[in-house]
Amino acid sequence: MTSNLVRRAVITLALAALAGIPLVSDDLYYQSVLMLTFMLAIGASGWNIMGGYAGYISLGNSAFIGLGAYTTGILAAKQGVSPFVGCLAGGLVAGLAAAFLSLVTRRTRGVYFVIVTFAALELLGVAATTWSGVTGGSQGLALPLPTWSMAYQNWPFYYPLLGLLVLTVAVSAAVRRGKLGLGLFAIADDEDKASGLGLRTAVYKMNAFVLAGTFTGIAGGIYAYYVAFLNVAAVFDIVTSMLIVLAALLGGRGTVWGPVLGAFIIEPLANLTSTSLGGADAGAIRLLLFGGLLGAVVLFLPRGVLPTVTGYCRRRQAPRRVPTRPAPAGAAGAAVPAHGPRQDGDPHGDVADDVLEACGLVKAFGGLRAVDGADLAVAAGRVTGLIGPNGSGKTTLFNLIDGTVRATSGQVVLAGQRIGRLGRPARAHAGLARTYQLPRLFGSLTVVENIVIPERRLSFARLWRHRVTAAERARAIAMLAELGLAPYADTSPAELSFGQRKLVELAQVRWLDPVVVLLDEPAAGISPALAERLADTIRSLAQRGTGVLLVEHDLPFLARLCQRVYVMANGKIIASGTAAQVSADRAVVDAYLGDEVALASAEPAP
Amino acid sequence: MTELGQALVFGVLAGSVYGLMATGLTLTFGVMKIVNMAQGALLIFSAYLCYTLWARFGIDPLLGGFIVTVPLAVLGVVLYKLVIQRVQRIDQGLTIVATFALALIAEAAIALAWGPNPAAATPRYFNQAFRIGSLTVPRAQFYTCLLAVGVTLALQAILKRTWLGHAITAAAENPEGARLVGVEPARVGAWIFAIATASTAFGGAAISFLYQFTPDSQDVWIGLTLSVIVLGGLGSVPGAFAAGLLLGVAEAITSTYISVRWAAAVPTLPILVALLIRPQGLLARATRQDTGT
Repeated sequence: MTSNLVRRAVITLALAALAGIPLVSDDLYYQSVLMLTFMLAIGASGWNIMGGYAGYISLGNSAFIGLGAYTTGILAAKQGVSPFVGCLAGGLVAGLAAAFLSLVTRRTRGVYFVIVTFAALELLGVAATTWSGVTGGSQGLALPLPTWSMAYQNWPFYYPLLGLLVLTVAVSAAVRRGKLGLGLFAIADDEDKASGLGLRTAVYKMNAFVLAGTFTGIAGGIYAYYVAFLNVAAVFDIVTSMLIVLAALLGGRGTVWGPVLGAFIIEPLANLTSTSLGGADAGAIRLLLFGGLLGAVVLFLPRGVLPTVTGYCRRRQAPRRVPTRPAPAGAAGAAVPAHGPRQDGDPHGDVADDVLEACGLVKAFGGLRAVDGADLAVAAGRVTGLIGPNGSGKTTLFNLIDGTVRATSGQVVLAGQRIGRLGRPARAHAGLARTYQLPRLFGSLTVVENIVIPERRLSFARLWRHRVTAAERARAIAMLAELGLAPYADTSPAELSFGQRKLVELAQVRWLDPVVVLLDEPAAGISPALAERLADTIRSLAQRGTGVLLVEHDLPFLARLCQRVYVMANGKIIASGTAAQVSADRAVVDAYLGDEVALASAEPAP
Repeated sequence: MTELGQALVFGVLAGSVYGLMATGLTLTFGVMKIVNMAQGALLIFSAYLCYTLWARFGIDPLLGGFIVTVPLAVLGVVLYKLVIQRVQRIDQGLTIVATFALALIAEAAIALAWGPNPAAATPRYFNQAFRIGSLTVPRAQFYTCLLAVGVTLALQAILKRTWLGHAITAAAENPEGARLVGVEPARVGAWIFAIATASTAFGGAAISFLYQFTPDSQDVWIGLTLSVIVLGGLGSVPGAFAAGLLLGVAEAITSTYISVRWAAAVPTLPILVALLIRPQGLLARATRQDTGT
């Protein structure tokens, strides 16, 4: 609480000081250094939304400065539009460019985005030079000079930039606090998993990059008016991109204030070197200095100044923040009704509708047919088992159903809807959810945040809501209490045991209120007590009408839960029936070669 | 017709060199998932070394390329051990930022050592040409084309036929499995960097007498080589060669029929298009994607 107060006081004081400086000092040099610092801070804060929160590093963000500057400049020079209006158009153009570039991340990850942003910067530089009729080409572009009295010094540039910086940081903070930020951090952790939970990751990333582009573009427009003359080499400059990345990394990427702090370190340093270094080698020495600094930050301070310092302080204040209450064994917390139990499907009737059907699914990797014409059906409100020796294609079948891997041929029907051509988020929205053999929780989110992150539909208004609303929190805590994990609500999933993480992943899946759940070996490698709790959870899922498809090697475990079991071998379904029936099947026993004993001991389904 | 034929000849000759320049980049990506943004700086560095060998000692730049492979291989291992390996341990995603920093440092160091003025080696044959019918085949470009084909074939042979090549492929496809059979991925990494930077020496030799270059031309060459490997499918040596040819021809046709100035946009435009439409590159094969999970 007090540290929060101190933080607010420091921020207010710093802001007041920055606002007051041009009023008390008429030193234009310091004003210009501060303005460049604001620019860099805006650029770095924008970069941080994509590069820090979502982990998509861009080396081309100075392209937005260039786009904003040239849009403003062209509108002012050719159309007589006031640069203060023009810079908004500049922001729009830069935002659109960002939206376009973010399309690249729809199907690719990591390095491709770096390459594309870098290439876009180069391409825009070439275009600005070559398209000389509009941009002035290598001659440069002169903007109309300001008409106001010199008595105002740089105020008309200074205050808009300061205001834009405040706005950028405020938006960055709002993103980080909200669902958008939650999704972006999840994307940085495990993008596949995030899209499997229904997050339209492409939309999240586009939002993040458009915010970065827009703010940086507007700043570029104001800058254009301030310098009054544009040349390609100065605004589409890879070194500016490098300074943006350097400021964000040095200050601490992923934090709200790190990039601002970084800019306030880097830009004054850059100015100092450009005024104090002279001679033919000055440029090379600056490059050496900043390139070296960037390398040093990556090697020796990869988290950045702010997280390192706050981490140190926090360690000194509170030795460890581990829940002290022991997890009550078998704490049967209140049932979790809030989420409207599904009424469709009759869990106790003899006839249940099939809610998931896979028809003739084939997946070929070159000559290997990992799944070779598999048909299966999962009934609403029932637990259906899927067994088979290792390598028989069970996980690939899951991947085909949930869209991780596209099927070579065949169809998947979920509740009457063909989903074989849909992307993963769309399948999740249709009501499909899965867990993994090794649980995949988002390491940079808390346990509660992990549980509430899934979404059944995309809504833009929702992206700006708080990460975990009060209602969501109450419901998630109730779910955790049921699993005996309530004390861990606000810890990192890293502090949970393997089995506890499996339970949390199951809760995450339940949050989606799915029609069908695919569970990949949920009971493998966890303690018998936890396995019991897990079986209860699976049963309660089915009782509320969800169809469950369960891959499991533990046949007794399956036999107690499943009415129907499919057996897979060499990519094909070779048998189906009750657990007792399939374990008596000769072909099944042959497929398992020697697992005969385990199969024989299976008890019949109740 | 002759105009088109001539554009094709120039395009193929230049394009084979583009392929050669990008081999180092595609190797490091294919095996280690590292995009070495310092590739352009390494090319320019070896161009300056070849230039200096030629200017000081009169060593032909083509021969100089072979000599320069040695210091570049050493440099590659040093960079790998001192920088790349450490950054990989901290955060794999930051390796690209680290190599970008290396590129800037190298550009600065080159500028301090050789000055900012343009350089170019001019061996006896640099402005001579063979004539085949009505077509002109510049001798310098023809020699570098032969060199490019030779080096690419040699690299391909190393990758496909030697134990080292198999170890490299194994470490690329399955680092854990490779470790189990005694192939240490970190040691293979050092080899890869050595081979990749050594092959860059030939690209630098080609630059040293085909183009004028300054320390900041590294920016242009990293853009071009990135384009080549994106088009060719990251990691594929034959793919890079084919993509190099394609880009060379596209550039020659753009300069012949549109404008020399827009030809500068040819390398970067395909990156955007390729990544939007066919991110796996022109010549990539379908692979299993579920083994990582």
